Amino acid sequence: MNDQFSEHEELLLRSWDGSVSARERQTLAEVMQNNPAMRQQSDQYQKIRTMLLRTEPDSFGPFFAERIMNMIKQRTQEIDYLIFFFFKKYQVLLVGVLVALLVSNMLLTDQLTVKGILGLDQGTTEDVYTIDLYDNLTK
Amino acid sequence: MEQPGDEELIEKSKVGDMAAFKMLVTRHEGQVAGVIRTLLGSTPEAEDVGQEVFIRFFDSLKKFRGESKLSTYLIRIAINLSLNELKKRKRAASRYASIESADGIKEIEETLDLKEHLQYAFNTLDPDFRAVATLRLVEGYTTEETATILEIPLGTALSRLARAQQKLRISLSKKLRP
Repeated sequence: MNDQFSEHEELLLRSWDGSVSARERQTLAEVMQNNPAMRQQSDQYQKIRTMLLRTEPDSFGPFFAERIMNMIKQRTQEIDYLIFFFFKKYQVLLVGVLVALLVSNMLLTDQLTVKGILGLDQGTTEDVYTIDLYDNLTK
Repeated sequence: MEQPGDEELIEKSKVGDMAAFKMLVTRHEGQVAGVIRTLLGSTPEAEDVGQEVFIRFFDSLKKFRGESKLSTYLIRIAINLSLNELKKRKRAASRYASIESADGIKEIEETLDLKEHLQYAFNTLDPDFRAVATLRLVEGYTTEETATILEIPLGTALSRLARAQQKLRISLSKKLRP
C-alpha cells in the first residue's frame, strides 16, 4: 500500500463519515473514475460494510435487567452480612468487658443496689467531707 | 407519557431508586450486548462481561458526573472488559491449543460461506483493530465517535479502521469477486 493510495483510502473512509470537503469529494470522484483497482476495492469495502452493519438490536436474552438487579441485591446483602460479622467479634468482646465490670463492682460494693453494682453509689459529699475532717483532726 | 432522560434516571439511582437503575439497564442493554457479542461472540463469557459492565456502573454511580454520555461511558467499559477477556483467551489458547497449520486454516475458510467467512476473518483481527471495526462497521458509529469512545486520536482510529478493512478484504478477496 503506497502513500498515495493510503491518502485516497483515508479520503474514502472519511467520505463514509460525511466529513469531506467539496474539493476532497471531487478528488475522490476523479480517483474512482481513473483507478479501476481503487473502485473495485471501494465496492468490496462497501459489501463488507453492508454485511457487517447491525440491522437489529442485540440483547443478552430475556430478563437480563432482572438478573442484574438480583445480583446487586444479593451482593448488597452479602456485604451487609460481612460487615455484621466483622463487627460482631468486637461486639461480643465489648459485652464481655461490660459484664466483667458489673460483676467486679457487685463483688466489691457493700451495697447490693443497682446503683452500687453500676458503680454509681460512691457515697455522698458529706461522707467525703467528714472523712477529710477526721483526717485533719488526727494529724 | 414522556420517558425520563438518562440524567434524571441517574440522579434517582444515586439516591437509591432501584427502579430507575433498572430502567437504565433495560435502555442500554442492547448497545452493550451488541459491542460485547461482536467482540466475544455469543458465549457465556459475553453475558458475564455484560453483567460486569452494569455492576461497575452501579458501583461508580456516585462518582459519575455525566461528563460523557452514558452510552459512551458504558460502551467504553464494555470494550475494555471485552479486550481483557480476549487477552485472557489468547493466553489460554497459546498455553493449551495446538497451532493450526496454514493448510488447516485455508481448508476451514473454503468450507465457509461469505458471511461465515467474514465473521471468521473478523474474529481473527487483532483486538485493537477489532474494537475499532466493531464500533465503526458493526455498530455504525462515526469514526470520530469511535475515537472518542476508545479515547484514541482520530488519526489512529482511521488507520486502524483502514487496516482492519484491508485485512478483511484480503481474507475475503476470492469470495468478494463479482
